[in-house]
Order: sequence, then C-alpha cells, then structure tokens
Amino acid sequence: MTNNWITTRAWLLMLPLLVVMIAVIGWPLIDTIRLSFTDAKLVGTQGSFVGLDNYVKVLSGSNFQRSLLTTFWFAVLSVSAEMVIGVLAALLLNQRFYGRSVLRALMILPWALPTVVNATLWRLIYNPEYGALNALLVQIGMLDSYRSWLGEPGTALASLILADCWKNFPLVALIALAALQAVPRDITAASMVDGAGVWSRFRFVTLPYLAGPLMVALVLRTIEAFKVFDIIWVMTRGGPANSTRTLSILVYQEAFSFQRAGSGASLALIVTLLVTVLAVAYAALIRKTAGAS
Amino acid sequence: MSALELVDIRKRYGNIETLKGIDLSLADGEFLVLLGSSGCGKSTLLNIIAGLAEATGGDVRIGDRSVTGIHPKNRDIAMVFQSYALYPNMSVARNIGFGLEMRKVSEADRNVAVQKTARILQIENLLARKPSELSGGQRQRVAIGRALVRDPQIFLFDEPLSNLDAKLRMEMRTELKRLHQMLGTTIVYVTHDQIEAMTLATRIAVMRDGQIEQLAAPDEIYNRPATRYVASFVGSPPMNMLDSTFSDGFAHIDGTLSSIPLPAHLHKAAAEARNITVGVRPEGLTLAQVGVTNFGIDAKIEVVELTGPELVVTATIGTQRLTASLPPRSQVTVGAMQRFAIDPDALHVFDKLTEKRI
Repeated sequence: MTNNWITTRAWLLMLPLLVVMIAVIGWPLIDTIRLSFTDAKLVGTQGSFVGLDNYVKVLSGSNFQRSLLTTFWFAVLSVSAEMVIGVLAALLLNQRFYGRSVLRALMILPWALPTVVNATLWRLIYNPEYGALNALLVQIGMLDSYRSWLGEPGTALASLILADCWKNFPLVALIALAALQAVPRDITAASMVDGAGVWSRFRFVTLPYLAGPLMVALVLRTIEAFKVFDIIWVMTRGGPANSTRTLSILVYQEAFSFQRAGSGASLALIVTLLVTVLAVAYAALIRKTAGAS
Repeated sequence: MSALELVDIRKRYGNIETLKGIDLSLADGEFLVLLGSSGCGKSTLLNIIAGLAEATGGDVRIGDRSVTGIHPKNRDIAMVFQSYALYPNMSVARNIGFGLEMRKVSEADRNVAVQKTARILQIENLLARKPSELSGGQRQRVAIGRALVRDPQIFLFDEPLSNLDAKLRMEMRTELKRLHQMLGTTIVYVTHDQIEAMTLATRIAVMRDGQIEQLAAPDEIYNRPATRYVASFVGSPPMNMLDSTFSDGFAHIDGTLSSIPLPAHLHKAAAEARNITVGVRPEGLTLAQVGVTNFGIDAKIEVVELTGPELVVTATIGTQRLTASLPPRSQVTVGAMQRFAIDPDALHVFDKLTEKRI
C-alpha cells in the first residue's frame, strides 16, 4: 500500500465527520461572522453591510464593559473558591476514616445534577419569603429580617457564585483526589522522617503532584465560568439592575431579546475570541508544566 | 547505653497479630538485619521503630529515651526506602538537604553538609539533576545521602537494594558495608535476601510469623541455626532436611534403609524426641569412596547442574530430596545410585515436633 493511499483513505474515513462539523460549526461560524458586519434583525430585515460599526459600538458601549467586568469577577471568584474548597475536600477525603467511600460518592452528587436543577434548588434556598438561607441566618441570629438575596444588586452575584461553587467544587475535588492517590506512600513517609510538618509536606511534597491535574481543572473551570449562562439565566436572568449580566447573557439579550442579530453576532464573536485566548494561554501553560516535570 | 531497645513490641490489625512481642537491644554501631519472608512482620517492625506505624503494645527506646508516641521527625532517625522515595520535583542537592532545610539549618551550612555527603557517596556531579534523570543505582545513592546528611542516631533501611539489578545490588551491598565500616553508624536493615543479611549484618534477627526465630551473628545463624526454619531459610542451596527416627545412636531416614550415626552428645535429647529432622548443608555432603567403609546414605541422582565453581547434584532418597554441592569435576551419573558421605560435624539435628535444635 502506498503512502498516498493511506492518506487518501484517512481523509475518506474522516469525511462524514468533517461534513457534519462544517454543517453545524463551520457554516454557522462563517454566517455569524457575516452577520456581525450587518445591521440585520432577528426577524424581518436581512440587513445591509455596515462594516465595523457593530464592533465599535459594542466595544465602546458601557454594557459590554460592565458585563466583561461581571464575567471576570464571576470567573475569578467562583473558580478560585472552587479550587481551594476542592483541594481541601480532596485532602479530607484522602484521609482514612469510617464512611469515607460513602462521602466520596455523595460529594459527586451536586456536580452530577443538571445545572437547571441546581439553579432551581438554590433559588428556593435564596427565596426571600420562605428560603432556607434566610431561615437559618435569622434563627442563629446573624440576620434581623429576611432578605432578597437574588433581588438586591449587592448580593445577587455573590449568591450566584456560591451556587456555582457548590455545583462545581466536586469536579476539582475529584481531580485532586485522584492526584493525591498517586502520591507514593513512601514519599509521604520520607518527608515525615525528614521533618516536614503538615504545611511543608503539602507545599513541597504533595502540591507538586497536584499541580498538573489542578492546572487542567483550572483551565476547564475558567473557560466554563467565562461562558456561564444557564445557572444565571435560571436564577436571575442577568438582574437585578443588570448586576449579574455576564457576557453570555448580554449576547443572548442583544440577539434574542432585542432581536439585534448583527450586533449580537459581533458580541458573540468577541466572547469567542476571549475564550480562545484563554484556552490557548492555558494550553501553553500546561505544555510548560508537563515539560518541567 | 544501647542505641535502640525494643521492649515487647506488639502489633495487631483487627484479629490478626502481626507482631507477637519483639524484644531486642542494639548496641552503638551495630548493623542489625531483620531477615524473613514477606509477611513475617519485619517491615511493620521497621515502621514502628521509625514512628510511621504505631505499635499496639510495647515500647521503643532510642538512645535510652522512650519514643513511643513521638513523631518520626523527632526520633533522630533516618530512613532509606525500597522505592528510594526521592522528591521528583527537587534537584538531587535539595533532596539530600531537605531534612536539614526542614530543621531550619542555614543554607550555607546545608550546602557544606550536602557537598560532604555527595563526596562520600561519589555523586558530586549529580547534584544539579532531577531524580528522573538518574539511574536506579544513582537514585539509591541519593536516597542514602539523604539519610547520611542528617547524621541521625539510627539508620533504617527498608529493602533498599531489591529494586536494583543483580550486578548493581552486589556493588551497592559492598558500598553499604564500606559506609558502615567508615562511619560506624547504627543500622537496622530489613531484607528477605539471606545473602544481604549474611554479608552486611553484625547480627541477624530471623523473623517468622511476627516473632524473632533467632537473633545472632551471621556465623552462628549459619552454623548453629536454632530452629529448622532458620536452618532452611539461610543458605543457598538450602539445607537438606531428612525426616528420621532415632534409635541406638543412629538417625534412620524415614522410608529408607539408610541411617546416619549421630554424635554421642546428641543421643539423649534425640532419644527423647525420637522423631527428628536431620539437617545437612549441601556442602556437607561428599561422594563416598568406593570400597572404603564409611557410613553414608544412598541416593538416586536426578539432576546435575554445573554452576561454575561447583556441581549442584539433586538426588532422591526414599521420598525425600537431597541436594549436594560438589567440586566441579566430580564423576556422577544421572539415574545411578550414589553413596554420599556426611561430615558428622556438619549435622544439624532438630526435634521434628518442636522444630527446635537438639
């Protein structure tokens, strides 16, 4: 068999997949790019070519800047909290104690739930009239009267971040736990004999084993957090007073609520670009870490 | 003052008692080898000395200070692991110096100590490397260096050579012996390899089922094994064990017409036991001269193996097996009956029931 035939056959075998990918990803992407240079509406007009107008308007508008900042805070706060809580949970679940395997299984539950279910659960918890959080805080005396956690611009984003953490820390914990189990027992023992205390042991011995897998978790979670839509849509729809309107929510509102397909498309592309930059940066970082160890 | 003292050490996992009361005392500068097959409790005992496992009962004393309940780092011990257990993310120099770093030794002092240790172990050129860039033997040296640099009261070795290939294992064995002679350190060393035990130890503790079967110098372990187990565990090829019945000064080998005269001082005890096991090391057997009257046992030659320095002959006597190590040019024929002479001084006699030496 010639090399030529092997190459041809490979392409032939991939052809069905390529066709599907071009149909569901390639064509929509190209059409979105085309749309972003027009003033098309969702219904009615096909729109006419307006050049870079959409981009200029979007990038200079306060909506985009505010949403970018909201997204940034959401991603940074929820992901860093998830990483810390996830690693702590993994360290705990790596200890020997009675009922450990049950707890390990239970921990996965929030992550296994569909986001919509999780979001609905937390809406009930945050409910201003009969929510569990209000009841708890009032009964232990930390709060004088019931509050509308999702209804006040000051607490809505934080409440969302908490709900997101609860859902996603198990993923980090799971990855960290797997990595912890790969730390050889002898190495831990050696560091104890060497005189390393709990913190030094974690810092110098355990953490290097966790770094690679945690980096993967960090990449996945940051990209997901940057694209966050469903949990916010179910809980606040971007409100109150747009205080939880992340970029994805903004894109949705622009394109579907306000039916401005053209500028919606340009926004979507900007978000795609940002996420791509993140992904490429992290991929480079992972390669570097992998090369170092 | 003893460097290490173990008083009635016991360890129990659920219903299984893995250590059944271990007592021993180690003088300064001794090289003690804990020898036994896997599951005999030797590694558990080492971990208890290190503080990595907790004894269910008894006391560990290091330098006349009880260390029971004291964290490994405060026991003044260093340990070398079978897997080397080097920190993969640190350079060789930092690996060696890590124990000092954790003990807040200044960087300058640390560097001096690391350099000195590296010189002793001839690994100065490796200091900047990562463990992944080292060969097995080099890693082992680094692991030893990490223990050496701290200058502890006791060194603990957990099967340190078993991951090395045969040639390297011999080299490192000699190296360890050299280090011990040079530094005069006190060492507790766990192995299942009887050659390592024989060559390295000043004393060997042969362990079996959580107990010390015999604690003695290598020479005595080999030449006066206290039990049938010790006798068969130490030595290669292993000692021949012939189940026999004693009467009239002779051990009559079961299922045969052969008998072996026993030295007079054994007669009384052998008569009391009646059922005995006669042990003869393979090198204690020689080919009997034809026509010369001497006591011997007749066995059928089954297999002949030339190892180079010796000819190992496997034969059967009744239903029992006999191995002899003969000079390489000995004339033996596979399938033929052969008479073997036994050096009476090379006999070891054990009570068949209690397995204790008579």
